Amino acid sequence: IPESGHKYYLQFSTEDYRTGEDAGNCLATVLYPKKKSPPVVSIKCSHTKDQKKIQEEDNALYQRIRHQSKPITGNNIPDSHGNIEPALEPVWALAVAGSSSIMWEKSTETLAYFLAQVKSVRQWMRKDDFTEFDYTVLLHEIPTQEIISCHLRLTWLPGHPLKVKHFCAPQSHAMDEGSGAEAGSAAGPPAGKGATF
Amino acid sequence: MRLPVLLAALVAVATCTETFVGHQVLRVVPQSHEELQKVQELQDLEHLQLDFWLAPRGLGLPVDIRVPFPSVQAVKAHLEASGVSYSIMIEDVQALLDEEQVEMLRSSRQLPLDTDTFNYEAYHTIDEIYNFMDMLVAENPNLVSKLEIGRSTENRPLYVLKFSTGGTNRPAIWIDTGIHSREWVTQASGVWFAKKIVQDHANNEGVASILKTMDIFLEIVTNPDGFAFTHTTNRLWRKTRSKHSGSICVGVDPNRNWDAGFGEAGASGNPCTETYQGPYPNSEPEVKSIVDFVKSHGNIKAFVSIHSYSQLLLYPYGYTTTPAPDQQELHEVSAKAVAALSSLYGTQYKYGSIITTIYRASGTTVDWTYNQGIKYSFTFELRDTGRYGFLLPAKQILPTAEETWLALKVIMEHARDNAY
Repeated sequence: IPESGHKYYLQFSTEDYRTGEDAGNCLATVLYPKKKSPPVVSIKCSHTKDQKKIQEEDNALYQRIRHQSKPITGNNIPDSHGNIEPALEPVWALAVAGSSSIMWEKSTETLAYFLAQVKSVRQWMRKDDFTEFDYTVLLHEIPTQEIISCHLRLTWLPGHPLKVKHFCAPQSHAMDEGSGAEAGSAAGPPAGKGATF
Repeated sequence: MRLPVLLAALVAVATCTETFVGHQVLRVVPQSHEELQKVQELQDLEHLQLDFWLAPRGLGLPVDIRVPFPSVQAVKAHLEASGVSYSIMIEDVQALLDEEQVEMLRSSRQLPLDTDTFNYEAYHTIDEIYNFMDMLVAENPNLVSKLEIGRSTENRPLYVLKFSTGGTNRPAIWIDTGIHSREWVTQASGVWFAKKIVQDHANNEGVASILKTMDIFLEIVTNPDGFAFTHTTNRLWRKTRSKHSGSICVGVDPNRNWDAGFGEAGASGNPCTETYQGPYPNSEPEVKSIVDFVKSHGNIKAFVSIHSYSQLLLYPYGYTTTPAPDQQELHEVSAKAVAALSSLYGTQYKYGSIITTIYRASGTTVDWTYNQGIKYSFTFELRDTGRYGFLLPAKQILPTAEETWLALKVIMEHARDNAY
């Protein structure tokens, strides 16, 4: 849109991350303004999943986490062979949700992300009913192909929005004498800030 | 001592004749003659069905007894009543046997006897894959040979399998997997392709007809240094492991190092990035060896370089928006190949030129091979679309390889039927 920016019209279907079941369709417009700032998004989705069922599944997930006698910890989820220990599935699911918040913030018109791996997770026990986790997640950045390491702090209670704080390690592209053309140095303020959605 | 019994138990378990659920192994170390006698008495109580793994021999020497579940309470009561102390060596014999089974399967995977016992549904190390290649050649000396086309930076051999039924320098198809080392499903698929070619030939079906007039070259571990690194140190390593002077960073992106649009937009000049093009084209031995091979062979008609993930079938160009002269034909072949792929499990692929379908990329493999005159130059991005990404579960190896093979066959058959 001349003078304004680029506007994208999207139509897409969604599926349950765990089961692959169809979870509804969405229509969205995304406007990237000419001046670099977060895009303006409008979105409408149809939900094929019944709210009650979602609540039940959330509660089941929550119970699985609460029933552990010790704080949950883990590394390399999935492992090199793509395996996720059943006991760590709930924790992985939360990481997926939390990481999507990071990706939402970091994505631009030209940069996209996928969750490559949960490098580590540690649960913080709380006195209240909330569950709290500390993660190191690895994000795969497209098209640069870089693996970005992010620290993710997440609190959750069914029926409440996920609370997410994150900090992604600045890309340390050590400069060498020969490469003047490519920037990518670590200069600049740290990229982390709190985010809730 | 207990090995024959354990083996017998294992056989029994395998043949479903007996179960050892709840069986316990108790250890008694008789300290006095009275204790020794109490233990020896147990040997006569046949109804208890006790199995002495270590029979009573003398004072201070351990006695190990496997006690069937129904007798556990009785035996413990007998020992306790007599003041004989015991320890529980094995809480549940069945659990141990189950574990052993798993271990045996695992160890049989580490030492396959032939390419029929090789586990295609698991990820393997470089040694296991190199061993597989030797076995395949040994089993099929009239069809398969192994060529060393060069050495990697860390001096690992770069092996290519040649499948040929004869002739001299027949028109050929090239397939490579694992050029980016973290894309594990590709090397795993390459191994499966190798076996599949041999099987098809033996059964005179599938690619057997292609092998009548064409050769197939398959490089499974195209980036062995990177691959070894993903096993030992960093599962998400992509590049080679070369060090070029002037930088502390390691590795060049082998899919930006080819002499097609080298150094232009779509690669990075920074050695510390994942898309570093390298100091000059073909600086990487992994790339140069293929370049040399292709040039000296001179008769390659189709070239397929396999990556993951994204589920895409791509053709040139990546370094320019100028459409490839054969764009229309390549697009049609891609449509057919993708349809064949989807027909098996419904896996959805997109297709098109690199620059319009994925992103601008310069110095890529197939842009170079296409410019060399190899018309049917394609790049695959295999499963999945990001849920597991590089860490694709091993159980998806087989379906991925099977569906991809159908697409490869479309390309190979088209190359055979459209000689140029």
